[in-house]
Amino acid sequence: MGRYLLLLLFSGFSALLQAQQKFTLSGYVSDSASSESISGAVVSLQSAGVRSDGVSVATNSYGFFSITLNKGNYQVITKAPGYVASEMAVNLDTHFSRNISLLKQSVGLGEVRISANRNDNVRKIDISAQNINSQTIKKIPAFLGEADVIKAVQLLPGVSTVGEGATGFNVRGGGIDQNLVLMDEAPIFNSAHLFGFFSIFNPDGVKDVQLVKGGIPAQYGGRLSSTLDVRMKEGNKKQFQANGGVGTIFSRLTLEGPVVKNKASFMVAGRRSYIDALAKPFLNSNLSGSQFYFYDLATKINYSRGRDHYYVSGYFGDDAFSAPNAFGVKWGNSTVTARWNHVFNKKLFSNFTYYYSRYRYDIEFKNRDLSFNWKSFIVNNSAKVDFNYYLTPKHQLTFGSHTTYYIFKPGSAVATSKKGEFNFSLPDKYALENAVYVGNEFNPSGKFSYRLGLRMSSWYYLGKGKAYYFDYAATPNGRKILNNTRDYGAGETIAAYINPEPRFGFKYQLNNASSVKGGYNRMVQNLHLISNTSASVPFDVWQPTTNNIKPEKADQYTIGYFHNFGSSGNDFEASFETYYKSLQNQVDYVDGADLLLNELLEGELLNGKGRAYGAEFYIRKSSGNLSGWISYTLSRSERLVEGINNYGWFPMRFDRLHNLYVVMQYKLTDKWEASANFVYSSGTPTTFYSNQYNVQGYIVPDISSNARNNVRNPDYHRLDVSATYIKRKSKKWEKSWVFSVYNAYNRRNPFSIYFATNYQAQDINQAIRYSVIGSFVPAVSYNFKWN
Amino acid sequence: MRKFCKWIFPVLAVLVFSACEDPIDVDVKAGEPKLVIDAFVNNLNEAQRIRLTRSIPYFTKPGTEPPISGATVVLIDTTDFTNPKRFLFADSGNGNYIWKPNPAAGDTFTVGRTYALVVIEDGDTLIGFSKMNPTAKIDSLFVVVETGDNAGFVPGKYVEMAANDLPGTGNTYWIKTWYNDTFRNRILDMNLAYDQAGSPNSSQDGGIFIWPIRYGAINDFSKPYRTGDKVRVEIHSLTPETFYWLTLIRNENQNGGLFATPPSNIGTNIFSLNPAKKRGLAGFFCMSATNRAVITIK
Repeated sequence: MGRYLLLLLFSGFSALLQAQQKFTLSGYVSDSASSESISGAVVSLQSAGVRSDGVSVATNSYGFFSITLNKGNYQVITKAPGYVASEMAVNLDTHFSRNISLLKQSVGLGEVRISANRNDNVRKIDISAQNINSQTIKKIPAFLGEADVIKAVQLLPGVSTVGEGATGFNVRGGGIDQNLVLMDEAPIFNSAHLFGFFSIFNPDGVKDVQLVKGGIPAQYGGRLSSTLDVRMKEGNKKQFQANGGVGTIFSRLTLEGPVVKNKASFMVAGRRSYIDALAKPFLNSNLSGSQFYFYDLATKINYSRGRDHYYVSGYFGDDAFSAPNAFGVKWGNSTVTARWNHVFNKKLFSNFTYYYSRYRYDIEFKNRDLSFNWKSFIVNNSAKVDFNYYLTPKHQLTFGSHTTYYIFKPGSAVATSKKGEFNFSLPDKYALENAVYVGNEFNPSGKFSYRLGLRMSSWYYLGKGKAYYFDYAATPNGRKILNNTRDYGAGETIAAYINPEPRFGFKYQLNNASSVKGGYNRMVQNLHLISNTSASVPFDVWQPTTNNIKPEKADQYTIGYFHNFGSSGNDFEASFETYYKSLQNQVDYVDGADLLLNELLEGELLNGKGRAYGAEFYIRKSSGNLSGWISYTLSRSERLVEGINNYGWFPMRFDRLHNLYVVMQYKLTDKWEASANFVYSSGTPTTFYSNQYNVQGYIVPDISSNARNNVRNPDYHRLDVSATYIKRKSKKWEKSWVFSVYNAYNRRNPFSIYFATNYQAQDINQAIRYSVIGSFVPAVSYNFKWN
Repeated sequence: MRKFCKWIFPVLAVLVFSACEDPIDVDVKAGEPKLVIDAFVNNLNEAQRIRLTRSIPYFTKPGTEPPISGATVVLIDTTDFTNPKRFLFADSGNGNYIWKPNPAAGDTFTVGRTYALVVIEDGDTLIGFSKMNPTAKIDSLFVVVETGDNAGFVPGKYVEMAANDLPGTGNTYWIKTWYNDTFRNRILDMNLAYDQAGSPNSSQDGGIFIWPIRYGAINDFSKPYRTGDKVRVEIHSLTPETFYWLTLIRNENQNGGLFATPPSNIGTNIFSLNPAKKRGLAGFFCMSATNRAVITIK
């Protein structure tokens, strides 16, 4: 009897011991055809025989996941949008490292697309985040038939622009410099070619794009309004592939393939415009030899071995305009990124990145008597470390550190003439930025989860340099007069600022198809794009936070309701979100501010407050022959600056009340696809003169109310259509022709209305309507794919 | 530097596809008229004029501003407080108030002194102050022949000025050009200098004026001078306040298109002694020392 008891006790005890044992299943999720990693895929483990949702984890931006559970038998289901769900059985009795390959869905006409994981928007804790993949981007009809990443982002809720010709985009009432645009972790300072008509991202080289507008997690920082994280493809590890096209303005070619099959691969994506070559025969002798072109080249090479993955990427691009013996202008970004991922003990994923990013412009003016050269740049050198620690399926930690050393060249300008050399250069500026962060994502119960994080960021404005101290201006919006200056040596701290940035997000799951999510974030920004023009110019200068220019701060509160519905449960994704953002230390300008090559620039700047609020409605259909989305945003963005608009709130230049975007894609037959977008935006604000007077023979316009932005430009609306003809010659070749019309009903949308004196017509004063695109623009382009 | 930048933008704008402009009708309510005081006075030995007018609605024809008569306009030398020298500008009709210097009687302005402008109009007293700063001397004017190797310059004769900025930072000037006694008043020709250059820069002090100032803005490169033409160049000293005020006028008159800055009002350095009156004021007061040179094209 005692023996049986002992045996019972012993087996019970060992059973108890064994039940406590936990094992980790970890690995990468990738595309079965190319081995590209898939971020945001959801790996769920369900206990065999138990019908429940089980526990799940999403892959990080490198495609890595890790999940730790009790020993047992599990069904592992992996889902990602656009892929067939994969199922496999795992007997978790040891630590497993398993790479999961997913097969891309190919949907023929009439088949119902398997709605894999479409309730991501409801189930994931991310609020105000939107993902678009390269396939979707290529289907949206675009200007001159060139599919564009930024143009696709501009069709999302909460995003708008000031008009055609705007180089950036505005997210939830923030300026164009308030978006952190990243290409493989390196920041890009000017995301546009040719004044915003095309972005610098080659859609053939882009893997996916994520825009986060609110509830920004602790690992991102440095800009107030959003993060646009663009990840480039790694390169097909299995077979060589070529993608390209010939368009109206430029041609592109992307080559990718394995270097060592299944271990290492490369990707090279290039584009170049050739309108200068086409225009050459038509230019008169004065201008022959003129050049205007833009190009971009994105390159990447990666190698994986065991627990380590290494990546090196580089981006180089430029816009250049020049006429011989007259002028030359060039501007562009270059970045180089080197990254190393390492998996420690299967629960701890780490990423070490070093990047170098430079934005520079170069202006040259030459004639027989005079040559003038002006250069400016901003350079960052940065090292960052990011860790994902998958403690338990309910509890994940992220932590890391990010250090950047900046060099600013606001302007080095030299003019040389027969009478000598004039040097207008401004001294270089230096700064060091550091951030450490901790983020905690916790799902205590099936229904409620939250994310709590803190980022501590610090900024040191360093010498070698001069600090400027100003007197208070005579009037609130007056230029400040210099009082004195002080010289600092190399590395000495001129000004230091330390700012905590708390981040919070939560999700309450109402049922399988709907949830309520909310968040709060405090963001700090120490780089300021100095620009007082309607559309930003490529020559606008980035200035650091100094002893005069304070760090910009934003507090954003957001809450939303997410719901999926439809015949199969997930045909439609819908959401409704509202936000309120309060901004401090916003940079504004004195009247007639002199912002170029001005040593006393800090005296031309004013400090103000901002506020932005709105509501976004979004509904999206991803399955079936007809797909697309409708987005409607109601928004307001205002500012308050002493000395402007009689110290009352005034709307920002890009403020638009109603923003309706409709994007539709229709698969007509196996060979034909059609798509259309319709955009409707309320007019932007402007200021009208009411009176005029005469001094010294000059006509001087006058605003009698002294108001700013108190009148509205007409509303903006436009329809774009395109049709694509796809020809699959063989298994290896796919070719397509795209016919598109931008601004199909020929509306002359005014960018602005400005007032001017017409000296030719007997000196009368007129209001002039200025449109950037004043007619419909048709285009044809040809694309091919070979593998 | 503003000059180069403003030049580049229209060139780039041309390269933008199918952009267009056309005049339209807009409905704007004109506001309360402002009292405008145009008081630029210099120390040349000729009649000096201060003009008083009122502002008019934006879309009425420029040049039809109603003049103000019956006001008292006087300049006061603020150096000697016991017996300040007064210069009375007499109402000569059409809003013009004129004063003639009399060097024989010592009735002239002195460089380096600060003057106050006092205007009494409609029961209100308005005041402004300006120091008469020293001006740069034009060493000479000479003819330059363009042969056509400068793109866009019509070949022919043009005029260049040899002049140096005064030593010491913070000297501001307005260089005016007359062609056969017609003032070059195209807004693009407004020629302002801050030390040697177009904007403050501590390295540009004391030397020769930069190319756009000594040559570029003095000529219209689409119309060369002919033999017998008379070109007159004057350098007027300004105060830094006046320099920025004139810059605003130049900007507001060229503001439009893709890279427009927000329209704003141009302030004034004249203020009312009775703030309760809340009247709109515009215009500027500036005392200039002036150096003049003339050349006849041979």
